[in-house]
Amino acid sequence: MSSFFLQTIFNGILAGCIYALFAIGLTLIYGVLNFVNFAHGELIMWGAYFLYFLMDRPLNLPLSIAFLPALCLTILLGLGSDRFIFKPLRKASRLTLLITSLGLSFFLRNGAQFFWGAEIRTYGFEIKRGMKLFGVSITPNQLAIIVSSTLCMILLYLFFYKSRMGKSMRAISDDLELARVMGIPSDRAIQFTWIIASFLAGLGGILLALDTNLHPGMGLINLVKAFAATLLGGVGNLWGALLGGMIIGLSENIAVLLLSPGYKDAIAFGIMVMMLLIRSSTIFWPKE
Amino acid sequence: MLELRGLSKAFGGIQAVVDFSARLEKNRITGLIGPNGSGKTTLFNLITGFIKLDRGEVFFKKEKIDGLLPHEIASRGLVRTFQLSRVFPRMTVLENLLLAPQGQMGEKLWALGLKRERVRDEENRNLKKALSLIEKIGLLPLKDEFAENLSYGQQKLLEMARLFMANPEMILLDEPTAGINPLMIRKIMDFILTMREMGKTFFIIEHNMDVIIECCDWVFVLDHGEKISEGTPEEIQNDPRVIEAYLGT
Amino acid sequence: MDLFLHLCVMCLIYIIFALSLNLEIGYTGLFNFGHVAFFGIGAYTSALLTLHHFPFELGLVMALTLSGIFGFLLGLPSLRLRGDFFGIATLGFGEMIRMVFQNEVWLTKGPMGLPGIPKPTLFSFRFATLPQYFLLTLGFTAITFLFLRILIRSPFGRVLKAIREDEIAAEALGKNAYRFKIKSFVVGSIFAGLAGALWGHYTTFISPNDFTLLETILVLLIVVLGGKGTEWGPLLGAALLIFFQESLRFLRLPPEYGRYLAPLQQMIFGALLIFMMLFRPEGLIKERGRRVYAGTQRVE
Repeated sequence: MSSFFLQTIFNGILAGCIYALFAIGLTLIYGVLNFVNFAHGELIMWGAYFLYFLMDRPLNLPLSIAFLPALCLTILLGLGSDRFIFKPLRKASRLTLLITSLGLSFFLRNGAQFFWGAEIRTYGFEIKRGMKLFGVSITPNQLAIIVSSTLCMILLYLFFYKSRMGKSMRAISDDLELARVMGIPSDRAIQFTWIIASFLAGLGGILLALDTNLHPGMGLINLVKAFAATLLGGVGNLWGALLGGMIIGLSENIAVLLLSPGYKDAIAFGIMVMMLLIRSSTIFWPKE
Repeated sequence: MLELRGLSKAFGGIQAVVDFSARLEKNRITGLIGPNGSGKTTLFNLITGFIKLDRGEVFFKKEKIDGLLPHEIASRGLVRTFQLSRVFPRMTVLENLLLAPQGQMGEKLWALGLKRERVRDEENRNLKKALSLIEKIGLLPLKDEFAENLSYGQQKLLEMARLFMANPEMILLDEPTAGINPLMIRKIMDFILTMREMGKTFFIIEHNMDVIIECCDWVFVLDHGEKISEGTPEEIQNDPRVIEAYLGT
Repeated sequence: MDLFLHLCVMCLIYIIFALSLNLEIGYTGLFNFGHVAFFGIGAYTSALLTLHHFPFELGLVMALTLSGIFGFLLGLPSLRLRGDFFGIATLGFGEMIRMVFQNEVWLTKGPMGLPGIPKPTLFSFRFATLPQYFLLTLGFTAITFLFLRILIRSPFGRVLKAIREDEIAAEALGKNAYRFKIKSFVVGSIFAGLAGALWGHYTTFISPNDFTLLETILVLLIVVLGGKGTEWGPLLGAALLIFFQESLRFLRLPPEYGRYLAPLQQMIFGALLIFMMLFRPEGLIKERGRRVYAGTQRVE
């Protein structure tokens, strides 16, 4: 029983690592550009499908080679959506941006369905027996998830706390008031934001698909999870997003022990609503 | 009418308003002046509930109103304006005015079905009042135009007319004459004086000293969040502390 | 003729659906991205009750009531949020409701769906044939249109518009924005429930797959394309889009293309939404103040 519980905790942390990657990207875009990008989930999904595309016929590339190009394609998708859609709308109302990003999300989701169909796919690795560690079984893929997301966090830490660009981005993201005073951030800062956010989304999507599977609907559901994590950690707060992701990952794995597995994806929503109820209204009250 | 006791507010270590106390008498026009960033607008936000107080109490008509929500304070008869004009841009001039009267029956969903006669009567009364008001401020040809199509001065005027429709007992004006031409300033001052005749009480943030001297009975001076002086406009003008505050440290 | 009537019925149902969303998005400025949830609640409630041999009248009343109650319960926490957070909360709610339809097999039969929903009988008159059903939906559409028009033109509707324009200024004028937003949201949800119930009884088969993001996007597009915040915009938008969508269905393409057609059509919807926002955000019909006289000019 205790090893079963440990396994659940481990799975929760695993999922939490991935959700944290999504949430950091989402909150970064929100912090710098001041709108919730509904298409963020689709970057996650397309990241996973780009890898699938490279590893599938006719290319048949191995994972080690296909990995980086897939991430680059995701980044290009993120940058492209900014250049052609969000850039012309930089001064538009927030609600215009919302509808636009929702439309983009729908477009991209069906784009994936157009090419690869709606069915659930995997990268076609045979299921490897995990090794046992303290009674918890860990597959090599899961090990890769832990290692690469930890590496990512370290790199993010170095970027946000040591580099000039990172520091100013963090300042903008942490302090919405400051961001408003400073006006629209420079194009370079915005592009950098998109690069980081799409990189994290693509990486997270690939890792998630390695551990589970891919299907065109995975973007939307993970967007809700990322958003719940963001709310938990405090909007615009990068380390809060990390913590929030962990909490979501853990609680949905633990909750599955109690609830029907069909509701696993609903846990994040439940947490989100609870957060909304608990938090005082003033936090989201538009500032004077 | 309005009594403020020890209002204080800090934003992240910076004291925006420090221990501000004052009594504002009924049917008077009280001015509030001070250099930029001295906490005038913050004080208004504190009184009207848009920002939470750190410390202090606000009494309006001897009732404690601090801690109430902005709309609760407004419906008790203490209404404010904002520094920049806040007309409703994509609503017509007429709609902007019709919105203002407090406690309208027609704003209740059930009344739309059950009290149709009363809703209609009330609406007709308000319409008549609004039209005569629009005529008085010279916007009659523009009554069905979206407010966003008005000039800035006209928007400010519309805002004043809206206050008139709302008919509160006390009005807080945040720089009513900023950024508009002298002709419009005159019109707005007339508005203020007429409403005072009707028994309204005013609290006005203003930079234009001519307006202060002509309208105000009493003036408070704020610097770095503290009240440094008060008196009649004439006294204030000759107060060395005030001059020092304005000329800089 | 049947095809034409079918188009009309679909169109009318979507007009009700879009009018209810227009009240929220167009007039109150509430960006509800989970409107399909209430459509689904209405459809399932009425279908389940009539399938269990309760009268249609009761099914309909319960459909509206439950949609309203769920709207109220969702609105209570989420309407305290800023616009975009409210949007994502409703988006999540839409997905969750679909999950409930899918997982509560004891109630909804899960992914199998509910077949054989009876045609409605209203005051012992059975609306069984297509023309009869057309008249029924026409009646309900007219009621919805007139009811919402009265609402929008009333002082109540005026406050909603003020909240859309500037929530803070509305508060400063003594309007309780939160309360008005909840009322608008509940009314919108109720009419979405009506549209859902009518749709369920029309198609006679519903399943969780009918209540996906596609429906939300479609109804959002109807409102945005036609012109949000206008009385006739949703009607125009619904006519254009439903005609487009339903005519694709009758193209009689070979089945192997079907796999590509559905996502392609939805990509077009997504692209159209982006296109509208980029190039004509106000929609085909532009919002205007009522009774604008020509030749007005600025005076100062």
